Amino acid sequence: MSDPSALSLAELAAAIRRRKVSSAEATRAMLARIKTTQRRINAFARIEPDEAMKAARAADRALANGKIRGPLHGVPLAHKDMYYVTGKLAECGSKIRKGWVAPATATALMRLEGAGALRIGALNMVEFAFGPTGHNPHTGHVRNPWNRAHITGGSSSGSGAAVAARLVPAALGSDTGGSIRLPAHFCGVTGLKPTNGRVSRANAMPLSFTLDTVGPLARTAEDCGLVAAAIMGPDPLDPTTDGAPPWDAQGAQRSTRNMTIGVPRSFYVDDLETDVDKALDDAIAVFRKLGARIVQVELPDQMLVSAAALIVIAVEALTTHAPWLRTRAKDYSDQVRNRLLNGSAYSAVEYLEALRWRGPALAAHLAAIGNCDAILVPTCRSVAPTIEETDVGGGANAEAVILGVTRFMRPVNYLGLPALTVPAGFGKGGLPIGLQLIGRPFRDETLVALGAAFQGATDYHRRAPALP
Amino acid sequence: MPKEVSPARVAATAAATRVPLPRNGAERIARAVTMPVTRFAAANIALDMEIEPATFVAVQRKDAQS
Repeated sequence: MSDPSALSLAELAAAIRRRKVSSAEATRAMLARIKTTQRRINAFARIEPDEAMKAARAADRALANGKIRGPLHGVPLAHKDMYYVTGKLAECGSKIRKGWVAPATATALMRLEGAGALRIGALNMVEFAFGPTGHNPHTGHVRNPWNRAHITGGSSSGSGAAVAARLVPAALGSDTGGSIRLPAHFCGVTGLKPTNGRVSRANAMPLSFTLDTVGPLARTAEDCGLVAAAIMGPDPLDPTTDGAPPWDAQGAQRSTRNMTIGVPRSFYVDDLETDVDKALDDAIAVFRKLGARIVQVELPDQMLVSAAALIVIAVEALTTHAPWLRTRAKDYSDQVRNRLLNGSAYSAVEYLEALRWRGPALAAHLAAIGNCDAILVPTCRSVAPTIEETDVGGGANAEAVILGVTRFMRPVNYLGLPALTVPAGFGKGGLPIGLQLIGRPFRDETLVALGAAFQGATDYHRRAPALP
Repeated sequence: MPKEVSPARVAATAAATRVPLPRNGAERIARAVTMPVTRFAAANIALDMEIEPATFVAVQRKDAQS
C-alpha cells in the first residue's frame, strides 16, 4: 500500500473499507507527517494522537466484525478550531477563549463522526475567523506549504495548509467573507462554500449570523462532495436549515455536457495578474472541451453588493463581540480589534437596509445569469502575497490589503450562493491559482459535478508542495 | 449623499454602541467604512415596504424549486 497521506479522501476511505490499509496505519502515517511539519507549517492548534489512535483501532475492530459506520469509516480528519466538541478546548484562535472548554458538540462534527470519520486534532485559524490573510499573533502564523514566506489566506488558514501539506485528506473550514475559498486558492486545494442554510452552524463559533457557512476543504471536488453529503441537511438546532435538502449524490455526478457556464464581462476579469488571467482562459477552454456552453454575463454592480456585505458582517461581528470589546479590548490582536470596531460606524437603518436588500439583490443576480448553471471567476486577482507585503499588524495599509484580497469574495456571501474553488494553475513563484465556480441556491451538487469534471481533465489538484 | 464619513459621525454611533474607541479610532474607522457607506447610500435603493430580511429566503427557495 502506498503512503496513505498521498491518497485523496475518497481513495483513503475506499482503501480502508477494502482493508488495503487499516485506519490505524493511516492515522499513524498522518500523525508522523504532522509531527515532521508542525514546527514549519504550524497548521495544528492541538494534536490528539492517543485519542485518534484509540478511535482508529476501534474503527479497525468494527470493520473486522463487518461493521461499517459510514462512507468515511476510519478516516482521520481535523477541523478548524471553532467547531465545538463537548469537554474539549475550542480556542477559536484567540487569547480571549484560551482555555475555553466547549459545552456541546457541533452538529457538523457529529455528522462526520456518524459517517465514520475520526478526529486527529484541531487546526489553527485567524483569531475569531475575522481576517482573510491567515495571520494570527496569538497562535503564530500558519505558513503556506508552497512557500513559507507567503500567506495561506484565511480565516481557515490551518485547514488550507493541512490539506495542501497532505496532513489530512479533508478539513472543515468556515466561510463568512471568503474564509474557505481564499485558503483553497492560496494553498492549492479545493474548497466548497455551501449555500447559506444548507449546513447547520449549531455549536460552531459565530461571526456573522446572517453570512456564516460551514464547509470543507479537500484535495478534490469529489472529496468536498463526500464531506458535504455527510454534513448537509436540516438540523433543529439551526433553524436556518429548516427545509434544507439533503445531498443529492446523483446531482453531483451530472454530466457537464450541455451545462451552461457564465463568464462575467467585468469586475471579476479586471486587473488580474497575467497568470490568473491565463488560468481563467485555460479553464474556459477545458470546460468547452467538456461540452459546457460558455456565455458572457453582465452581473449587477458587484461593488455595491460587496458594500452591503461589508455593512452586514461589520455590524454582526461587532454585536457578537461587543461584550468583550467593552471589557477585554486589549486581548484582541490589533488587526482584529480594528476590524471589529469598524462595525460601530454604521447606523441601524444602514444595517437593516443592507439586510432587506439581500432578497432583491439575489433576484437581480439570478435574472442576470439567466439559465447559467454556474459562473466561472477567479478567486483572487493574484497568487499569495508574502507575509511581509501584508500588513499583519493592522497598520495604515491593512484595510486596503484586506479589501484587495477579498474583492471577489463578498458577493457570494451576501447572496448566500454556493461556490467551489478549484486549483486551476500556478503563477508567480510557482504559487497556486484557484478559480471559483459560483452556483445557484441549493445547487451545490452542480458545482461538485463541474469541479470533478474539470479535475478529470486537469492535474493541478494532484500537485503537492515539496514540504519544507 | 455623503461623500465621506466623518470622524464625528463615527464617534456618535460608536458612543451609542457603548464600545469604547481608542485614541484616533474614529478617524481610522471613518476612513475604513467610507467605501461601503457612500457606495450603498449612492445607490439610493428604494425597496417596496413589503420587503423584509426573510424575503431573501423566499427568493432563494423559489429559484431552487424552479
